[in-house]
Amino acid sequence: MRDSRGSLHIQGVEKNFALPQGDLRVLAGIDLEVAAGEFIVLVGKSGCGKSTLLRLIGGLETPSRGEIRLGDKGIEGPGLERGMVFQEPRLFPWMTAWENIAFGLRAGTEAKEGEATVGKYLSLVGLSGFEGAYPHQISGGMQQRAALARALVSRPEVLLLDEPFGALDALTRIQMQLEILRIWKESKGTVILVTHDIDEAVFLGDRIAVMSDRPGTFRDILPVKLPRPRDRSSAPFVKIRRKIYNEFFHSTRKEG
Amino acid sequence: MPSPGTNGKSPLFYRLVLPLLVPALILVVWQVLSDKGFFRTSILPSPLVIAQTLQSLLASGELLGHLRTSLVRVFEGFAVGAILGTVLGTLMGLSRFWDRALSLVTGLLRPIPTIAWIPVLILWMGIDEGSKVTVIAVGSFWPVFMNVLQGVKGTDPKYLEVARVLEKNRWVVLSQVILPSALPSLFTGLRVGLGIAWASVVGAELIAASSGIGYMIMYAREVSQPDVMLVGVVTIGLTGLLMDFLVVQLEKRLFRWNQAAGEGSK
Ligand SMILES: Nc1ncnc2c1ncn2[C@@H]1O[C@H](COP(=O)(O)OP(=O)(O)OP(=O)(O)O)[C@@H](O)[C@H]1O
Ligand SMILES: [Mg+2]
Repeated sequence: MRDSRGSLHIQGVEKNFALPQGDLRVLAGIDLEVAAGEFIVLVGKSGCGKSTLLRLIGGLETPSRGEIRLGDKGIEGPGLERGMVFQEPRLFPWMTAWENIAFGLRAGTEAKEGEATVGKYLSLVGLSGFEGAYPHQISGGMQQRAALARALVSRPEVLLLDEPFGALDALTRIQMQLEILRIWKESKGTVILVTHDIDEAVFLGDRIAVMSDRPGTFRDILPVKLPRPRDRSSAPFVKIRRKIYNEFFHSTRKEG
Repeated sequence: MPSPGTNGKSPLFYRLVLPLLVPALILVVWQVLSDKGFFRTSILPSPLVIAQTLQSLLASGELLGHLRTSLVRVFEGFAVGAILGTVLGTLMGLSRFWDRALSLVTGLLRPIPTIAWIPVLILWMGIDEGSKVTVIAVGSFWPVFMNVLQGVKGTDPKYLEVARVLEKNRWVVLSQVILPSALPSLFTGLRVGLGIAWASVVGAELIAASSGIGYMIMYAREVSQPDVMLVGVVTIGLTGLLMDFLVVQLEKRLFRWNQAAGEGSK
């Protein structure tokens, strides 16, 4: 399905939140054209509006100005064609890992087919053997991986990932990055991923959108034209890394 | 058998011995003081006398008969109150319309103590079973209603967002997200409600009845049998304790996911 489906058009998007002390402008003048099947990474400092932008694309918020279209359809509320992994796992504590993942299945999925799909993604995210565990019985990283599987079972055209590997250790993180790339290639879907990790951004993205502080705008959108799998220690990789690094250190001295 | 971590005392000590120690001590002191003639037996019989009375009331089947009558009333009234409380609490928790429409009525009725309804209900329904069961239903309704309402309203919006993103229909959202998340609250309500139901059956029987534990106590007072009275009082306490224990056990069975967690989204 590599046509206009899965392409995203973000034009002049602005987002204000009404607060008691007045409007808070979180995003301003966001323009982005995402081709179907593209892997976009958003990087930016805490509070710059990355999650807000994902929620706008996900249809959980509406833009104060501008518009977002998926293919040729304007976005009106959430939909299964846009899978979402939130910054927190948001697993239901009353369901086992298996049940949580199965909750992501489309209504009307045949039982047998659903079972096979859930099983497939459960092992894909490395949770085999934990299907019967409740969220409080597995680690934060495992919860995040279960949440990823829940978003994948309905095979969305666009996958919105809000720091999905934030709770993972460095090693599992690298492993999950490889998994995500594999899933992305196989599904030919569009991915928009938020991260704090510059290394991760360069490793994964076709393009990296660097966001400025509030109100969030795209300070720069860098293409990463390196073949995959990328070598993290290669000269071009390090060069792009340094470039992004410098983006942050130019206007602000300190980075958390 | 010393086990590590509990100061050399076994878990059995904490689970069984220690809780029983204090009541045992009270009984011993009470018995000793009674033997020395500290209490007038027409007002406070000794534990041994009460135990003998208990035995004979059990043997004659009188006590169990009264207990059964009371329990049947409690379960009838509790079932009605709990079902109405759950339904109304869910309805008002889900729908802003019904919440607004009924909030003043429920707010007005809720502070009225259950006992205040007894004379009113006797006037409306007579002194037969109906009025007693209704008193119990009213008593158990409120805690169930309040807890369910709070539980349904308190569903974490983050969970609701997950369901929205996955395009779940209203029924799935209700049955798989809202109700499970409200279930611990429901159980709190049921537990408190059952306690109140049990307390109010006795209240209802004290006023008008010809059988039941409450009646037994009242009648014993009229015919000056303090030992029978106290057997009745103790039976109420023990039955209440047992009911609470059973609800807690049921709760533990049902909420494997909510144990150990402790925190989580309430
Ligand atoms: N519903 C809301 N109401 C009011 N303000 C909000 C709301 N959601 C987000 N904000 C504000 O918008 C700003 C951006 O929030 P957002 O969650 O998008 O940041 P972020 O870039 O994802 O940060 P982080 O990296 O820490 O997750 C913050 O200042 C936040 O306080
Ligand atoms: Mg965020």
